Amino acid sequence: MIRLEGVEVRYGDALAVAATDLEFAQGSFTSLLGPTGCGKSTLLNVVAGFVPPSGGRALMDGAPVTGPGSDRGMVFQHYALLPWFTARGNVEFALKRFGLPRAERRAHALRALDDVGLADAAEKYPAQLSGGMRQRVALARALAAEPRVLLMDEPFGALDAITRRRMQQLLAELWRRTGTTVVLVTHDVDEALVLSQRIVVMAAGPGRVIADHRMDDGTASPEDTRPRIVAQLDTEPR
Amino acid sequence: MARAAAPSVRRGKTASTGPPLVSAGLLLLLWWAAARAGVLGDGLVPTPWQTLKAAHAMWADGTLAADLRASLARAGQGFAYGATAGVALGFLTGHRPRVAALVSPVMSFLRPIPAIALVPLITAWFGIGEQAKHLVIAYAVFLAVWLYVHDGVARIPADYRRAARTLGVPAWRRLTEVLLPAAAPSVVTALRHGAGLAFLALVAAELGGAQSGIAYRLQVDGQFLRTDHMFVGIIELGLLGLAADALIALTGRRLIHWSTS
Repeated sequence: MIRLEGVEVRYGDALAVAATDLEFAQGSFTSLLGPTGCGKSTLLNVVAGFVPPSGGRALMDGAPVTGPGSDRGMVFQHYALLPWFTARGNVEFALKRFGLPRAERRAHALRALDDVGLADAAEKYPAQLSGGMRQRVALARALAAEPRVLLMDEPFGALDAITRRRMQQLLAELWRRTGTTVVLVTHDVDEALVLSQRIVVMAAGPGRVIADHRMDDGTASPEDTRPRIVAQLDTEPR
Repeated sequence: MARAAAPSVRRGKTASTGPPLVSAGLLLLLWWAAARAGVLGDGLVPTPWQTLKAAHAMWADGTLAADLRASLARAGQGFAYGATAGVALGFLTGHRPRVAALVSPVMSFLRPIPAIALVPLITAWFGIGEQAKHLVIAYAVFLAVWLYVHDGVARIPADYRRAARTLGVPAWRRLTEVLLPAAAPSVVTALRHGAGLAFLALVAAELGGAQSGIAYRLQVDGQFLRTDHMFVGIIELGLLGLAADALIALTGRRLIHWSTS
C-alpha cells in the first residue's frame, strides 16, 4: 500500500504541490486527473522516488520512499525504451535481475511480449515499431520486473484515439489478471472513468486535490460521476 | 515504414564514391592547370607528376616511411591518451552536474589556448623527447573529446536512467547497458573531431624540435624551397586525417546500428 502523508513539493519558491494526504490500497486502480500544472505527474514522481518531497513523506508498505525501486514500476509517456535493444532485449533488460538462465529469460520475455500482443515483433527495434507497439513493449517491460505498484504517467497521451482505446482495453485486462496496484496520471476524463475504480481530481495554482471519487462501492456510476468531474474541472480557476 | 527507409539511406551513404572521386579529379585538374600556368613563377608550384616523382624519391631513400612511422606513432599515442582522458572525464562531468560545475570553467579557459602555444613551455619542462610530443597532441585531443562527450552524456534522456532504476537495474549495468550505448554516437563524433585535431597538433609538436616526422620534414624542405617535397608532406597529412576519420566513422556506424546519425 502507498501512503502520502502531507506531501508537499516546492521548486525553488514555487509551490508545485500543496500538502497532500492520499492512500492507494493494494490492488486498486486509481487515476490522478487534472489539467496541466496541477501537480499530478509530480505526485507520481514522488511515489516513484524521482522527486523528493519538500515536506511530508511517501510510504511504500510502511517504509519511507527514498529513491526509485523495482517495487514501483513506471510507464512513461514517451515509452523510454532503449533504442539499442530489440523489443525482447528491452524486456530482458528488466528480467536480468532475477538471474534466470539465458534460455529461460528469453522464453519469459517472449511470453511477456505475447501477453501484450507483440509476439511477432519481438526482434524488432523500437524505431521499427509504431507508438502503440512501443507502449506495449514498455508495459510488458514494466510488468516483467514484477512491481507491486505500476505508475503510469499519461501513458497513452501520445497515441491516436483508436490505438488509445485498444491500449486502455489491454491495460484493464492486464490489471485484472495481475492484480497490480495501478496509479494512472491522465488529463482525459473518459480514460479515467473507463479504467479506474477511483478518480482523484486535482487543480493547479498550487497543485492540490479537490475531489476524490470512488466508483468501486457501487453507489456512483460512471454516468453520474462524469458530469460532476467535468464541473469540478471547469469551475476551478487555472 | 522506418524499416523500409533505413536500407536506402544506408545504401546512399556507402555507394556515394562517385562524387568524392569527381571532386578529387577536379582538384587535381585545377592543381595541374595552376602549375602549368606558372602562376607563382617557375617551379614554385610543382605539377602533380613532379610531386609524385618526389614522393617516389622520398620513398626510395626511406625518409617517407620513417617520417610516416614517426608521425603516426606520435599522433596515435597522443590521441590515445587524450581521447581516453577526454571520454572518461566527459562521462563523469556529463553524469554529475556538480563535478561539471567545477570542471567546465577550467576547460573553457583552456580551450582557446592552442596546442602550439604550449610547445615552448612543454619543451622547457619535458625536453624535446617523444613524451613532450604526446603531451601536446593529447592536450588538443583531450579538450575537444571532453566537450563532445560531456555534452552527449548530459543530453541522455533522464527517462532512460529513471526507467532503468525503476526496473531495479544496478549501477554497473546502468553504465554498460544504458549510459555507454546512449552516449556512443557522441563518443564517435568526439573521436572523429579529436583525430583531426591530433594531426593539427602533430604539426605543432614536431615544429618544437624533432629529428623525424612529416611536419619536421616539411620544415627542412621549406629551408631548401623544395616545394615538390613539401607538397608530398601536406598531402600525406590530409590523407592521414581522411583515413583516420573514415576508419572511426565506419567503425562507429557498425557499432551504432540502431542510430541513423
